[in-house]
Amino acid sequence: MTEVRNPFADPLRFERRVPECAIVIFGAAGDLAKRKLLPALYRLAYDRRLPASFAIVGNSRTAMSDDEYRQRMHDAVKQFSEDGELDEELWKRFAANLHYVAGDVNDPQLYAALKGKVNAIGQANVLFYLSTQPSYYEVIVDGIGHSHLAAAPEGAWRRLIVEKPFGHDLESAKELNARIHAVFREEDTYRIDHYLGKETVQNILALRFGNGIFEPLWNRRYVNHVQITAAESIGVEGRGGYYQEAGALRDMIQNHLLQVMATVAMEPSAVFEPDAVRDERAKLLRSIKIMRPEEVDQYAVAGQYKGFRQEPGVNPDAQTDTYAAGTFFVDNWRWAGVPFFIRSGKRLPKRVTDIAIQFNQAPLALFRSGDGEQKTRPNLLILRIQPEEGISLLFLSKEPGSGMRLRPVSMDFNYGTSFGERSPSAYETLLVDAMVGDPTLYTRQDMVEASWTVIQPILENWNNRRFDFPNYESGTWGPAEADAMIAKLGRQWRNS
Amino acid sequence: MGTASAIQPERILKDLQQLWAQMAVDQADSGGVLRACAMTLVVAAEDAADAERVRQTVGVLMHNHPSRAVILHPGGSGSVLDARIFAECWKPFGKAQQICSEGIEITAGQSGYSEVAKFLVPLRVPDLPVVLWCRGTQVLMSGAEPGPLEPLFALADKIIFNSFHVADADSALQFLRRLRARGRRVADLHWTHLTGWREVLAHLFDDRALRPEEVKGSQVTFGGPSVTTGARYLAAWIRTALPGARVSLASGDGPPGLRSVTLSTASDHLTIALGSDHCVEVSGCGRHYRSLLPLASEEALMQEELGILGPDPVYERALSA
Repeated sequence: MTEVRNPFADPLRFERRVPECAIVIFGAAGDLAKRKLLPALYRLAYDRRLPASFAIVGNSRTAMSDDEYRQRMHDAVKQFSEDGELDEELWKRFAANLHYVAGDVNDPQLYAALKGKVNAIGQANVLFYLSTQPSYYEVIVDGIGHSHLAAAPEGAWRRLIVEKPFGHDLESAKELNARIHAVFREEDTYRIDHYLGKETVQNILALRFGNGIFEPLWNRRYVNHVQITAAESIGVEGRGGYYQEAGALRDMIQNHLLQVMATVAMEPSAVFEPDAVRDERAKLLRSIKIMRPEEVDQYAVAGQYKGFRQEPGVNPDAQTDTYAAGTFFVDNWRWAGVPFFIRSGKRLPKRVTDIAIQFNQAPLALFRSGDGEQKTRPNLLILRIQPEEGISLLFLSKEPGSGMRLRPVSMDFNYGTSFGERSPSAYETLLVDAMVGDPTLYTRQDMVEASWTVIQPILENWNNRRFDFPNYESGTWGPAEADAMIAKLGRQWRNS
Repeated sequence: MGTASAIQPERILKDLQQLWAQMAVDQADSGGVLRACAMTLVVAAEDAADAERVRQTVGVLMHNHPSRAVILHPGGSGSVLDARIFAECWKPFGKAQQICSEGIEITAGQSGYSEVAKFLVPLRVPDLPVVLWCRGTQVLMSGAEPGPLEPLFALADKIIFNSFHVADADSALQFLRRLRARGRRVADLHWTHLTGWREVLAHLFDDRALRPEEVKGSQVTFGGPSVTTGARYLAAWIRTALPGARVSLASGDGPPGLRSVTLSTASDHLTIALGSDHCVEVSGCGRHYRSLLPLASEEALMQEELGILGPDPVYERALSA
């Protein structure tokens, strides 16, 4: 059916319309709901992005009344909102549409109760949000299906947001997708990867395809290699039980960082439309060279910080990777031979996520550097995702004074200072996208399966061996093997 | 800082450099300062008191639109009398570093604005847009004659007015149309003021509460003794969006401003009416709900306008209709 253009549209002035709808959050008393979802929804209400009738229905096992749940969420939003004080007047209006249904997700009665609540609220459009432990996803989707909660009235929609992890390996990801598709169509399934909602990750596309000067350099002729780093200074912080089953490779690289890599390396889409952009991301993920079993030791490194096994809830003999690094190659004309080094770890020296594109050096060293040696330095383009969102370009400049001595300098663009006080949080962006039906920043089934395919040989190797863990000290940049991995290819990590 | 004869753009720019150097030293131990600038914002204030208000507004605007602000206000007659520089700083939530924008305040007789225009050429930030904000309504009533601000118009990439308080809407609109016809990109904060109303109306068509071809007529009702530019804009906007519908203006009760908009189909009416608590109430065609209007403070309206530095085709169509 052809979309009828709204003759009153004014895209320069109006935000995208969030239609009248309700969101049903499973796991509504959990950490994610308290820290991210409710603060994001409250902020959207604060910014007048939500319709007045927008309703939230929370579910968890804990028995409590609507008012008790409202009070809990009030305290959570107050604690976790990053934008200053809570507006109590606004909260009252917001909380009036905040409801709670207690119940076990294994109990069919829960879904009948939810259906009754949704009907009582009177919203035809409903977004279901799975914010529970992943092991409950399938039973919840089944429950929604059996109770016909997923059946939307004519002209309305029912959508599902699924938090990562989407499976724990390729096989389980396929199983989960099959279970979801028994109830929801793929176009109604929104797999959230909050990294893709970050302004700076979205800005990668703007930088690459909105400017004329970068894209001509964005290929194997000029790019020497790419480093993607997601470092955390903290440990597992009470999530030891979950984390020891996941590990850095599954928790960060399989989803967030491969999606970031796809955004950095993908081809431009013909149009900026959801499936066109996602097609290109998926194509890139499918182009990543799959490691042969005998290559895994050469191109992937696992690490575990000293003290991890002493964390609460962690098996004292755990083989969990709290650090993972990999070297990936893309088998296409643009990137053939260019290594993408990806690493992520806990208890590293600082919290930083960035992408460094290192360009080839000038072919001839004409000038002396500060130490008097005649050498060149590579230019670096650094896309900073957190904590300071922005872009820096490192190049050489003449030192003041006589002679021609060069020194690296940085030209910085800082998101916060160029665009005012606030960027929307990733969850604000992604929740609005799901409500308006824009899946551009969500992960599609084929993308999930492609990224598991990339990771699978490493998982199989690591699952079938015994590491001599721990192998790195807290506060360092990970195990020495990671330095050796990159050094074999004549590069070194940016540890700054 | 200086007198008429002493004011030189080069000197002002040098003073700004010194100001930044000094601020960097003063704030070195507390996170430092960052000089931010995305445009030159020239504000023609009505008088000295207005210039003071503008200073405060600029302090708010710079959070989203860091700029070099040049505030002009009339004082005495003839030539430029005085100029002084200032910086507006703020500290983002949870950050140590202050973000600062710079400003220049120039006192000049309105007849001296042609001299000011010459000063502004070197004072504007190279390669960044120049926005001129003309305060007050007098300029909108100047008819076809070139007013005192005329020399400044040529410097600006966008000129912002506010017709909210004009008594003669048609004269104000004619003035804006003439300026637009001369190739100047103009904006009117009274149009900006309508964004909330327009958004509510547009969403009715997003939601399929109405289909464009169903609407046979529309009535825009305004309060106060005479039609406002806002009512004219809204009627023109509806007319351009729904060329098949008969659009009329009606005077209603209440203070000046927009009171309601009604869209009529063959069998029903849908009304968006100003309600209490800064809301509009939508009723008819099976709908009944309230919708909050966005903030209409001067700062909020200017934030919106400064976010649109290129063509604004919807406004331009409404202005010319």
